[in-house]
Amino acid sequence: MASSSSSGLTFKLHPLVIVNISDHYTRVKSQMNPPPLTSTSTTVNGVEPLQQAPRVYGCVIGVQRGRTVEIFNSFELLYDPSTHSLDRPFLEKKQELYKKVFPHFYILGWYSTGSDAQESDMHIHKALMDINESPLYVLLNPTINPAQKDLPVTIYESELHVIDGIPQLIFVRSSYTIETVEAERISVDHVAHLKPSDGGSAATQLAAHLTGIHSAIKMLNSRIRVLHHYLVGMQKGDVPCENSLLRQVSSLLRRLPAIESEKFQDDFLMEYNDTLLITYLAMFTNCSSTMNELVDKFNTAYDRHSRRGGRTAFI
Amino acid sequence: MDSAVAQKTWELENNILAAEAPDPSSDSIFYYDEVAQAKFLKDKPWANDPHFFKRVKISALALLKMVVHARSGGTIEVMGLMQGKTDGDAIIVMDAFALPVEGTETRVNAQADAYEYMVDYSQTNKQAGRLENVVGWYHSHPGYGCWLSGIDVSTQMLNQQFQEPFLAVVIDPTRTVSAGKVDIGAFRTYPEGYKPPDDHTSEYQTIPLNKIEDFGVHCKQYYALNITYFKSSLDSHLLDLLWNKYWVNTLSSSPLLGNGDYVAGQISDLAEKLEQAENQLIHSRIGPLGTSRKKEESQLAKITRDSSKITVEQVHGLMSQVLKNILFNSVGQPKRNEQPVSDPMIEA
Repeated sequence: MASSSSSGLTFKLHPLVIVNISDHYTRVKSQMNPPPLTSTSTTVNGVEPLQQAPRVYGCVIGVQRGRTVEIFNSFELLYDPSTHSLDRPFLEKKQELYKKVFPHFYILGWYSTGSDAQESDMHIHKALMDINESPLYVLLNPTINPAQKDLPVTIYESELHVIDGIPQLIFVRSSYTIETVEAERISVDHVAHLKPSDGGSAATQLAAHLTGIHSAIKMLNSRIRVLHHYLVGMQKGDVPCENSLLRQVSSLLRRLPAIESEKFQDDFLMEYNDTLLITYLAMFTNCSSTMNELVDKFNTAYDRHSRRGGRTAFI
Repeated sequence: MDSAVAQKTWELENNILAAEAPDPSSDSIFYYDEVAQAKFLKDKPWANDPHFFKRVKISALALLKMVVHARSGGTIEVMGLMQGKTDGDAIIVMDAFALPVEGTETRVNAQADAYEYMVDYSQTNKQAGRLENVVGWYHSHPGYGCWLSGIDVSTQMLNQQFQEPFLAVVIDPTRTVSAGKVDIGAFRTYPEGYKPPDDHTSEYQTIPLNKIEDFGVHCKQYYALNITYFKSSLDSHLLDLLWNKYWVNTLSSSPLLGNGDYVAGQISDLAEKLEQAENQLIHSRIGPLGTSRKKEESQLAKITRDSSKITVEQVHGLMSQVLKNILFNSVGQPKRNEQPVSDPMIEA
């Protein structure tokens, strides 16, 4: 059912959507499985906790500009799996509410949880087709697998394929990238790594900032190592020579150095100098403030108006 | 290993509680116990103690939504409501949603515009399985810090009379982006005429000159609550995996470019404050030594702290730029001395 998509659309997914879906799922799951009231009830007490894995459904909204589809947000939907009916008035109400606050966002598709797309999903998909001719289906796999390295989120599109002479709609997988705004990235970072939320000293801030960049560079390094390893293998002859891959690597390498014009160097150095200037000014302010304190302390210690008048014992 | 020792010392210094690996049982916070909540609402333990609520726990989802909404408003203040429940002396915020209201700093109870929206939204939410009630409101102070203005204090006092338990949260999206960490504060007001028992010092933050009066007049009428965050096990798992994809964004973010205006504003504000401080210092050159001196000194010390903060943020931004330059631009060039000058780190 899932081959690769050929519609040529690029998909961008925001982390907010992923956290939304995960929260919806966790909510429904914990509501269904109330936590044991006593901490000693580890034995089965009738219902084994965390056994039911409900499927949740919802709508994704975002913006489509030309060939790029960007998914920003999502909200829940009411769907009855037994009768395959979507709660229409609910959907419309929600759509109206979200339109008031985010007037630019349109319904782009729907989401659900599970491990793979199923036949019954086609019903919902077809139901949404009157709002958006080509809706997306975002599937999140909620099973936590510690060995997993990839995000368990897949985006499916529907395509009309002729199978056995009958034109049918089937799901095809599409690739996507994660897109984020600066504010989103910072808050995701914040929650993911539980950084110290208060100011901390300048040293801690510096450490936090550099750690972030260090991890990012480490990732870059590991990716490049993989490529390097592959190329070495190709050179030795262990791996069959694949020209298309070689072309991609070569085009990647040719993009470095990234910018090399005079103007860039000038602007860069100017920014560098600006920052140094700010540092200089700050140090100046710091010095004058310390000097001010020193003078005041001096005046206190050598108070001219005291009876002794002048030099008191300097301890 | 060296880094492990360094990490432990850092964690110790900052009192970071070891985040226990969230196991599925910790997801119990997501369970909404209707009966217990109704009982708590009836008991009203906060009626006798203005300082009853001390902590706030915000879910990852709520934080993300609030920050994104605040940022999308740009320089206009936006507001929204938060849903959640209470747990002893803590208020738990599970979710947040935006309200179609703008310009919250110009009138008390801007929420009145959006009552219809609120009711509709709460209804649809309950149907969709989110059972919590509205437990507070949030709004943004783009660029001028997390505190309650006079209007905010009146709004919150009104809320605390009729909609208890209620919490006020303020987010500054501009400072968040500039500093690279979330700037957020949670507050509750004291009832009219109540004198707080002690003058506890809250964390210092720089306030622009045109707002400092508003801040000063009202800062004793409310207190800040401690904020912690939580996320479900699935959230942690997903966020870890998410890192595999968006490390690119971390590397490619350029805070210097985005925040030029804000930094310029901060510096000019600092210049004004400096002039003020100078005037004060000149006029009290001769005088009895005592507490009056201390006031001006702390003024200058405050300015020093502000300037160090601005500088530190600038330097961080520049460091990212220099690193990127080294990584991506010095290929094919003879190795030049491109190391950033060891800037004296100004201790706040």
